[in-house]
Parts: sequence; C-alpha cells; structure tokens
Amino acid sequence: MGLRRYLANKTIWYLGALVVAVVLNFLLPRLIPGNPVDVLVSKMGQGGLSSEAQQRTYEAFMREFGLDKPIWDQFVLYITGVFHGNFGASFSFYPTPVSSLIAQSVPYTLALQLPAIVLGWIIGNLLGAIAAYKGGGWDKSVFTTALLFNSTPYYCLSIILLYVFAVVLGIFPVGGAYSLGLSPEWSWEFFSDAVSYWWLPFLSLVLINIGGQAVGMRSMAIYELGSDYVNYSRSLGIGDRKMTGYIFRNAMLPQITGLALSIGTMVGGALITELVFSYPGMGTLLFGAISSNDYPVIQAVTLIITVAVLVANYMVEILYGFIDPRIRASKSGEK
Amino acid sequence: MTGILMRASNLTAVYAADSGQDVPAVDDVTLDVPEGQIVGLAGESGCGKSTLGNALAMIANPPLYVVGGTMEIDDEVIDLSTLHRGANEAHRPYRGSTVSLLPQGAMNAVSPTLRLRNLVVDVMRAHKPDTTKAEALDRATDRLNMLDMPTRVLDSYAHQLSGGMKQRMVTVISTLLNPKLLIADEPTSALDVSSQKALIEMLLAMVEKKIMRGVIFITHDLPVLSMVTDRLAIMYAGKIVENGLTEELVNNARHPYTSALLSSVLDPTVETRTKHVLGIPGSPPNLANPPSGCRFHPRCPFAMDICKTEEPAFLQERDHDVACWWANDHAYETVPMEVNQL
Amino acid sequence: MTNIQSAAVTAEAGGPLVPEGLPTEPQKAKPAWRSLNFGPRMWISLGIIGAVAALAFIGPLFYPYGPDEKVGSLYDAPSAEHILGTENFGYDVLAVLMASARNSLIIGLLAGTIAVLIGVAIGILAGYIGGWVEEALMGFTNIVLAIPSIVILILISISLQSTNVAFLKGVVGLALVIGITAWPWTARAVRAQASSVATREHIDVAKLSGARTPSIMVRDVLPYLASYAVMAWVLQLASAILAESTLSMLGLGPSGANSLGKQLFWALAFQAVATGAWWAFLPPTIVLTMISFGLLYLQSSLDEVFNPRLRRGKKKNLAKAAARREETARKLAEQNQRVEVTA
Repeated sequence: MGLRRYLANKTIWYLGALVVAVVLNFLLPRLIPGNPVDVLVSKMGQGGLSSEAQQRTYEAFMREFGLDKPIWDQFVLYITGVFHGNFGASFSFYPTPVSSLIAQSVPYTLALQLPAIVLGWIIGNLLGAIAAYKGGGWDKSVFTTALLFNSTPYYCLSIILLYVFAVVLGIFPVGGAYSLGLSPEWSWEFFSDAVSYWWLPFLSLVLINIGGQAVGMRSMAIYELGSDYVNYSRSLGIGDRKMTGYIFRNAMLPQITGLALSIGTMVGGALITELVFSYPGMGTLLFGAISSNDYPVIQAVTLIITVAVLVANYMVEILYGFIDPRIRASKSGEK
Repeated sequence: MTGILMRASNLTAVYAADSGQDVPAVDDVTLDVPEGQIVGLAGESGCGKSTLGNALAMIANPPLYVVGGTMEIDDEVIDLSTLHRGANEAHRPYRGSTVSLLPQGAMNAVSPTLRLRNLVVDVMRAHKPDTTKAEALDRATDRLNMLDMPTRVLDSYAHQLSGGMKQRMVTVISTLLNPKLLIADEPTSALDVSSQKALIEMLLAMVEKKIMRGVIFITHDLPVLSMVTDRLAIMYAGKIVENGLTEELVNNARHPYTSALLSSVLDPTVETRTKHVLGIPGSPPNLANPPSGCRFHPRCPFAMDICKTEEPAFLQERDHDVACWWANDHAYETVPMEVNQL
Repeated sequence: MTNIQSAAVTAEAGGPLVPEGLPTEPQKAKPAWRSLNFGPRMWISLGIIGAVAALAFIGPLFYPYGPDEKVGSLYDAPSAEHILGTENFGYDVLAVLMASARNSLIIGLLAGTIAVLIGVAIGILAGYIGGWVEEALMGFTNIVLAIPSIVILILISISLQSTNVAFLKGVVGLALVIGITAWPWTARAVRAQASSVATREHIDVAKLSGARTPSIMVRDVLPYLASYAVMAWVLQLASAILAESTLSMLGLGPSGANSLGKQLFWALAFQAVATGAWWAFLPPTIVLTMISFGLLYLQSSLDEVFNPRLRRGKKKNLAKAAARREETARKLAEQNQRVEVTA
C-alpha cells in the first residue's frame, strides 16, 4: 500500500488508541466500590479531627474533586481539564497542582530514558550485526553476555550496580539527583554534579537495552545471511563488506518495528529503576502517590506515560513508513 | 583446447550432513563447453545439477564443499576447491566476470532495500573499484537498449517489477560484466509461458551478440532443453552419464536413463493418444549410500551382471560420450524403448 | 511449448534423493527426540530453572525455619544458624526467600498459562476464521498492546487494593490480573501462524470431510501451532514473574503473601542497600535474575530447535567433518596427478 494510505491508516489508528487509553485511564480507578475521599478523610481523622470537622472536610473535598457529580459530568470535567493541562490538585500535597509536580519530575525521567533508548538501540544493533557477521567465538560470547543483560530486569541490575559501585566501591553517589545544598539551575557546577548521580541509573537502563537490541539484531542478521540475495550478490563478486551493508539495511527494518513495540515495556521497568536510586523522576512520584492513595497524581502520571508511549510508537511507525521501500515506493506493475 | 571455452575436470562436491557424514552430490564430473554454444544439463530433481552449477560458479557455501576439481578457461586453470581458507577471496575476482550464475528464483535475488541501479554500480565497483556511477549506469543502459528493454527499470526496487521482468533484469545484471561463461540455473521454472519465451529469446540474442561465449543451461524441463541447447549432458546421481549434441541425444539416446527420460515427456501430437508413457520404475538413490557399480542398475531394464559390480567407463564415440556397459556392448546403437500401442 | 513435467520427475517426488541444497540423513534410524537437537543451551537453562524451583518447593521441606518466625532483629548479619541473616521484620531471610520464590513462581505459572490460553484462543480464532472477525480481534489486540501494560496493571491493582474480596487481593487475584493483560503478544504470533496454516491442504481435506469449525481449529490447526505456543508460554512465564515483581516493588503486590518483588520492596523501604545489608536484597535479586535468564535462555534454545536457519552447527561434528574432507581432497588430488602422468 502506498505511503499516503499507510500514514493515514496509522494516524487514525493511534488516535483511536489514544481515545481508548484516556477512557480507560478515567474509568479503571473508579472501579473501586468505595470512595477515595473516605480513605483520605479517615486517615485525617486518625489525627484527631472532630467528626463535624471531618464531615465538612469530606464535603469540601467531594466538591473540590467533583466526586459529587454523576460520572458522565466527571468525565467531561476530566477531559476538559486534561486539554488545559489541568490535572487537579494533589491529595497528599494539597493544594499543589498535579501539573507542577509532574513538571518537576518529567525532566529527570526524560534525561534517563531518552538517551538510554536511543543509545541502547544504536549500540545494540551494531553489536548484534557484528556478532552475526563474525560468527564463531566472538559471536557466542557477545550473544551470551547480551542475553544475560537482556534477561536481567532493570531494577535487578540497578540494585546490583548500586550496591557494587556506590555502596561498596563508593565511586558513585548512593541516591538522589544532585548533592545536598545544590539546587537545580543552568550552571556547569550543577550539571557536572547531577551527571555523577545520573550515571548509575542510566547505565542500568542502557546496558539492558543494548543487550536486548543486540540479541534481536543478531537473530535477524543470521536469518538474513541465509537469504537468496546474499547468495546472488556473492555470485556477482560483491565483497563481504558491501554485503554486510545490504544485510544491515534489511535487518534494521524489523528492528525499528521492534523498538516501537518495546518502548511500552521499557518504560515500566525504568520507573522502578528510579525508585532504587531515589531518582526524582516520574517513577518516584508515582510510587509516592500509590503509597498515599493520591489518585489525581496516579491518574495524571499513568495518562502521561500512556500518551508518551503512544506518541513515541506513532513516530517510530511513521519513520518506518519512510524507510521501508516496500511502503514508500509501492507496486507499479512493470511488465 | 581449440574451440572449447571451458573444461571442468574431476569436479567433486560434498554436502556435510548434520550427522557429520559427507554426502557426495557431484562425483568426479568432467564437462566441456564449446565456444559459442549452449550446453544443457538435465536430470531429475536432486541429481546434482544445481550443485554442479554452484561449484562451477564458485559460490559453494557450507554445508556444500567443493573437495576437488579444476576449471580451464582461456588457458587459465582455476582450482575450484573451497576447502582452504583463502579460497573464497581467491575465487571472488572470477565471480560475475569470468563465470556468472543466473540464479534459480530471481524473485528474491535482489535485496528488497536496494534499487537496481545501485546494485549495478556495486557490481561494477566490485571488479573495478574506480568505476564512477555514470560509467556503471551508462553500461547498464546500453545493455538494456541492446536487448530492447525499458531503461527506467533501473530506478525501481525489486518488488515493483513483475516476475518475468525481474528474471530478465537479473539476467542483464548477471551478464553485465560480459562473463565468459553463464550458468543459468532453472531460469524458466518459475515463469509463465510468455515470460519463458521472452527470456529464452533474450539469452539466445545475447549469445549471438557474443555477450557470453558459452552457456550452461540447467533444467529438468526437457522440452525447453531441446529447443534451446546445442549440446546436452545428462546427470544421474551425481555423475554425468551421457553427453553429446542435443539432436543426437534426442534421436539416438545411447544410455537407458537418457532414453527413458526423454521419452517420458508428453508431446501433444496425434500419435501420443495411442502411446503409453512409461515412467522409470523405482526412485533415485540415496547419495549417502549409492548403489554399487553403475548407479542406475537397480532401475535399468538392460542391467547386466557387470553393471552391479563395476562403474562403467566413459565410452567416447564421435562426439557422443556415454557411460554404460550396455552401450559398450552395442556400439552406435540407439537404446530400444518399448512403446505399447493401445 | 508446454511445461509438462516428465513422469520420471513426478515419480521422484515419492522418494527424495538429495534435494538440491539439503543434506540427507544417514541410514541408521535415530529416536525422534534426538533429532530435536537438544543443545547445551537447553540443559543449562533447564538446570537454572530447576535450581530455583527446587529452592522454592523442596527447600521448605528441609529448612528448619519458617517465613513467619521472628528469629532475630532488624537486619542481623548472616551467621552459622541463619546463613542469610534476617530481614527488616526479623524473619530468616532464606526462609522468606523460599516462600517468595514459591509465590513468584506460582503467580508466574498461573498468569502465564492464563495469558497463553487467551492468546492462543484469540490467535486461532482470528487467524483461521479471518475476515472481519480477524480485523476486530486484531484491532482489539493491537490496542491492548499499544497501551503500556504496566499502566493498566497499576490502575487495576489500585482498584483491587480496596476491595473486600480476599482472594482478589492475594496471589490468585494478582495472577488473574496479570494474565488478562499479558496475552496480546501471544495472540499476534499465533494469529500469523494460524493464518498460514489455514491455507494448507489438510484443512481443505478436513472441511470436505464435513468437520465443523471448532473441531478443525482444535484438531487440525492447533498441533501446528504447538511450537509457537510452547515458546510463547515460556516467554509469558518470564514476563508474568517480572510484572508481578514490578507491581510488588511499587507496593501493589499480593497482600498477605511474600514474593520476590515484595522482598525488594521492603529492602528499599528499610534502606537495606544504603546500609549495606546485602543479604536482604541480593538473594531475591539473584533469584529473580536467574529465573528471568533461565526462561529467556530456554526460549532462545527452543527457537533454535524449531527454526533451523538459526542453527550454527555443532562444533565437534564440524571439526571432524572438515578433517575428513581434507583427506578426501588430498586423495583426489593424488589420483588426478597419477592420471595425468599416465595419460
């Protein structure tokens, strides 16, 4: 099918997925046969508020969070809020708006995940292709190492790295994003300090990504090595290096698709990594929100994660449409 | 060698089975291709003809190993063995320029992410690294014009072409460097009838214009063979059993297998209605454990005692070679095949 | 000019010679399972998985301490009596580890099996029936696939936290939740296979003989999907175990039960890493990694078994064969030289 049709197809599909995601995000927490405000207020009640005061607080919260309205109205409120970037106020940090909490944590998460995904993909694929091409002992060791890294959950590697390099060897700091006493600003001092806190969490993500890509690419490349076009190019006297280029170009295509599919899973594990390092990204924010039943924050974070993953997938799929000649230049039926 | 373009001598190639055993697929084969001629190589599926083609084109890949044999072409003797480490690199300069393979199934012969014109440039640069893009493309367009083919095909990807056009384009690319010998491995098998015709006409035109100086045409499609080839070599169980002018073999087969093979083809003439087509009883042998003596003896209606114990030597008669004990005893006689009248 | 095959060629179809490009099998028969090519990889991975299973299911039978016995205080260092010391509640770490491993494995098995069953069912339905059924099912599958499963798991788990139905909060509930969100991968893979199997001749034969659709799907399509289903099951196991530990580390684990993820959760909550109490977090980390690695390694070795193109050949056989070939080549060369001399 032609490029235009492909693009249109994908756009419509992703918009649909977005709608479903937003609706799910709204509905799922409301499956609770109970009221989150009840939980909140009773927690506050343990601090010794009078029952009258509790009742008033209860009503105030209900109004504040729109929980006294029928569900359809709540949904509309929710949607309009989201479009304006207004996710309401946090339960635990009342009256801090959720959006500002998120704005504070997003940069740290992005700083970790973006380079980890991109670098992991590039380095991993190169390694995998070389391993497939060279074969023999090199291939075996690369494959087993990559597989080992790939099958380690992100947080397990995080814990090991943290223990070995930060606690035992003391090369890296144990947790947080920057040293005490410093505050975030655009200065070299802050930046270089923050990087030392960033290294270990980044490593634990990127090493595993490299492993995953290397394993996948190696399998694809080995598969391609047995293809007809490899034999044919060889029969024309084309050298090994050029042929590796052909193989790479062909094996890359499914790797791009694979990247799109795995972004979703990568994000999940990466969140826990932040926990291990007390890195103040969205993972830590989410964790705190879960422990304190801070529903607005939970909902907002899950929505943002979902949207981010969908957008990332969408971009990767669009990119693929431009790269794969079978889509870009469709059949013209030359006789 | 006067008048002979290529002589392959004592060619042996084996497949390494998973168990570690080696199965000889081509067993001590010697074959000549005279200058300017098309030599057909025929036999049942699995007799070793494609393997022979691969060995001659020097592209044998593990698990296929060429264990021994030489190719003499234009006074140069090339060692075809692929056993030692440097063999691949040593063979590379010959591939495409001295000997070229037209593969079976051109469908997937071109990488799906490669435009044909880029493949052309790569092929030329593989043999002459300082070729410019313009030079390479000029040569390709000249060749396409010479063969009455549309030049805009160069800008396409493989998936944009029909099956017949793909096969013809692959033929052009395989012969771009004017290889001395072209080995065509079942080029017509996957094509519809009109595409077959177009391809064959193109091959004949190319031989006439001396783009190639000789062709080995491998196929199990006998009607095609009789129309296209000047000479015919019949393979059975990894060995060549008969070799001679096509016309001679068709009318005057001297090996029982050849005769059975050629007469098993349906020729839709009026007489066919009354003829009973004989198949060849039994099935081709397992090459890991071939029959003793003459490999065809279990299925041969003329088998004698000696056939079971000793491999027949090649009998050479007036440009018609045959390896058969029966033929030995009956000089110059055509094999009598019974044909039942209904 | 017609392209009619000779009778000889069609006769050959019954008894294969050396099909161009493939080696023949030697004459002596091998037992069927041998030809499945169980390499060293498979034994290693089975060994690792077996070790963890032994720890989880057999260990408690021999170990004197239980996971709920308070035998010490916060993070006692390992001693002769308690080889892995105690964790934050004063329980014996090894005892807790065994219980955790058991629960994690059980959740993984339950969730993985549920996921595979759903995935295979949907995949076969979509692939075999085709048409709008396929479009609808695949559309649904793709949407579930696109939305990050962790998000759905978190949202559902949070809801479940406040429910009164006991079993939904525990091991079984968690397994159910994970299972019903993890099937899309399997469904996709199975559908692709089912689609291609549906076009094969034996299906036509089945239809002609009057078999009804459900029967065809089970008896004629399913067996061909066996290898994919097995590989999918292994992968689902691994991802289910990991999903559970992710949830547990977030605090959404099975209530009232231990799991590997939960051990890590407590370790983080009580600063085990920072205080250097390695016995509290390293054992569950290592066990979790072992299970994950073992299962994924198993899957890749199964992949090689079912997909011959990925095989790269057994080393010792290759070396022997190469040596034999050199022999043959040398003999042939000698032969030819002698012929040349006498000619």
